[in-house]
Amino acid sequence: MDAEQERIALDKVVRPYVYDYVMREGLPPTIAETSSALSRSPDEVRASFQRLADGHILVLQKGSGEVLMANPFSAVPTPFLVKAGDRYYYGNCIWDAMGIPAMLKQDAAIEASCGCCSTAMRLKITNGSLEGAHGIAHFAIPAAHWWDDIVFN
Amino acid sequence: MLLFWSEEHVEKWCKDWNLPRGEVIPLDKCFSLAQAWYSPDRREPEWRRRNIDEAEALFSELGFTSEFWRLPR
Repeated sequence: MDAEQERIALDKVVRPYVYDYVMREGLPPTIAETSSALSRSPDEVRASFQRLADGHILVLQKGSGEVLMANPFSAVPTPFLVKAGDRYYYGNCIWDAMGIPAMLKQDAAIEASCGCCSTAMRLKITNGSLEGAHGIAHFAIPAAHWWDDIVFN
Repeated sequence: MLLFWSEEHVEKWCKDWNLPRGEVIPLDKCFSLAQAWYSPDRREPEWRRRNIDEAEALFSELGFTSEFWRLPR
């Protein structure tokens, strides 16, 4: 296996590890946790995180290189709190918050608020259906520019 | 992508932020998009991100056909 193949093989282990961890724990793993769990050096994990970010699979925190987003999950609190089972998650946006129960394949309640006035808005997803939701979603940025500034988007 | 109480609240938000109005979609359509986009299991080693054609085909299948949903090539 050449170096490129080794990098691809590592990324195919790191990505499932990150997603398995965040789905189980509610937050993505750190570089140190991933390094320890996969018996790879922190530099190898950091480089893998960066390749996954370059591929628009992860978004990293500036400076530290830790995971900020493993879409649809956020590593930091957002206005989109999702409760599924006995676990809480944060979605990056309303699309991602609705994607969390789809990824978990579980019922969920989304505690969100109006982007304009912060009025509390609760959405419930049961058996794969959205129940009696009030409100609308606004996509401010055209799809062609979503990744220009994915954190704002 | 934010949640709003009503169209009026979107208009006010756009004015406050000095941003043009984007696409407003009903929550059931947003939910269909979220389900389709995130259902594939990203823990599977062979999972891969949709390419541009696949992503646009999914948008189109769900009724998102305007220029707004065109991805960069």
